[in-house]
Amino acid sequence: MNEDALNTQYWEQLRKGDKQALFELYNNTYFHLVRFGLKITAHDELVKDCVTQLFFQLWDKHTRLQPVTHVRAYLFTSLRRMLLDKLAYQSKTSAAISRLSADEVAAELSYEEIIVRVQHDEELRQKLHRAMQQLTPKQKELIRLMFFEGLTYEEVAARTSQSIKTAYNTIYNAIHLLRKLLK
Amino acid sequence: MNTHFTVEELVCDVSFQRYCRGDDALAVAQWTAWIEAHPAQQDLVEEARQLLSILNARQGNVQEQRGQLADGIDRYDLLKQSLADQPTATILPARRRWKYVSVVAAAALLLAVAGYYWYLAFLPTKISPPAVVRAVDPVVELRSGDEPRKTVVLPDGSVVTLRSHSSLTLLAGFNQSTRELSLTGEAFFDVTHHVDRPFIVHTRAANIEVLGTVFNVRAYPSQEHVETALFRGKVVVSLKDHPEQQVVLAPSMKAIVSDKGGLQVDGGHKATVHVLKLSPDPVSHKAQEIEWLRNRLRIEDEPLSAIAVKLQDWYGIQISFADEAVKSYRYTGTFESETVVKALEALQLSYPFSFQVDKEKIIISK
Repeated sequence: MNEDALNTQYWEQLRKGDKQALFELYNNTYFHLVRFGLKITAHDELVKDCVTQLFFQLWDKHTRLQPVTHVRAYLFTSLRRMLLDKLAYQSKTSAAISRLSADEVAAELSYEEIIVRVQHDEELRQKLHRAMQQLTPKQKELIRLMFFEGLTYEEVAARTSQSIKTAYNTIYNAIHLLRKLLK
Repeated sequence: MNTHFTVEELVCDVSFQRYCRGDDALAVAQWTAWIEAHPAQQDLVEEARQLLSILNARQGNVQEQRGQLADGIDRYDLLKQSLADQPTATILPARRRWKYVSVVAAAALLLAVAGYYWYLAFLPTKISPPAVVRAVDPVVELRSGDEPRKTVVLPDGSVVTLRSHSSLTLLAGFNQSTRELSLTGEAFFDVTHHVDRPFIVHTRAANIEVLGTVFNVRAYPSQEHVETALFRGKVVVSLKDHPEQQVVLAPSMKAIVSDKGGLQVDGGHKATVHVLKLSPDPVSHKAQEIEWLRNRLRIEDEPLSAIAVKLQDWYGIQISFADEAVKSYRYTGTFESETVVKALEALQLSYPFSFQVDKEKIIISK
């Protein structure tokens, strides 16, 4: 059974009050949702809290949930709405966070922007920004696929039309360089 | 598995990545065992873990996150259960002694529609660490931490709102023969009237003795002054080291106790007391002393469930509902209240409901 069909099955079980199905659905979608959220805002804590709340809501109203064909799409939409609401709220109450202008919320953040912004330490941010610029575009792409998207070497190799061995070596060398630069 | 890895090898190892993400039970078990068996490589493992966390933009560990969700759901189910078991829980009637609810012109809208949901209260987030306030506990400490405000209902029914980075310690036997507590930082008090149990706030430099009243105390360790601003009722402020030196404060006045000698006019004592008028804000004519607390709540035909969320976020206290019907009661108006209890009482005036205050939680019912 593919992942979508599995999620739909968990959804139906959840509607009947199966708490375990809620957690299975959570396991299956957590990283997808977090990645999706991070592209909207690099507040990793906020994103993770919202994902938890989203599932809490599902449990709270499980008796009133309707059948859904595309569970993941439904979850993405709900998470997006929740994040935008919270960001709008925060920008009204906190000057610091209001730096997140409407434009920034609208445009999807790039991988480099996300990994730099989620760091709180200014020195690390700068180091990381500089270090990423030392990588080749190929290295950056492979690192994003492997670490951010959570793919395996097989998947990375297939996506980038190269051998697994080449993919491994490219990533290994990039990690070796990053480690030196971040010290 | 190998007995030795470099940091790079660990970072590039798919199984180690899965262990850090917590999404593969086998990898978690293997690496947990391996790390335990190789304590000498702790530092390497830690460095690899941090590099991975940087590169995956702190996506976190799904196992840990799921644990939080499970805790939240357990607490929620438990509460639902206990509410179902006790349909006769004591419900406080609306207290009518505060009628000063001011309906003011709508200016700044401090709280906008937020995506916060009332059941946020059940999630074990950093927002509301659970602390239980019981009269029998020997010493109870309450901290606001990073929250802008945190509201607590004390065992005697008094409502206290702490400003951020403030803490309150209830002294042993609170609410038995006396009600004594000590404050570091800033807090706004609305004290219930109990003649037989004096309410005393201890601060670094001054003690404040209270008869059912409303006041704000600033007592930061980094400041030389302890400031007590009185809004209603009567308080007696005395010097900590010279309790015979005291002033009785009238409403709209504040007492400033300085514990640096020589700064104030009175000689003889190290600490001195000054009494001043409250500083009104030039625009709103409200006391600036409680600017941090004031909440102008503008509501336009909104359900109580949405209003509760706003109140919860502003005052830093959990608000939940014991029944569904109340959630959809709708209200319109602009309110300004110093405590969450008063805000709710103001709402009760236009369409009645009941609420029960309990430690760090408010439960609304029909």
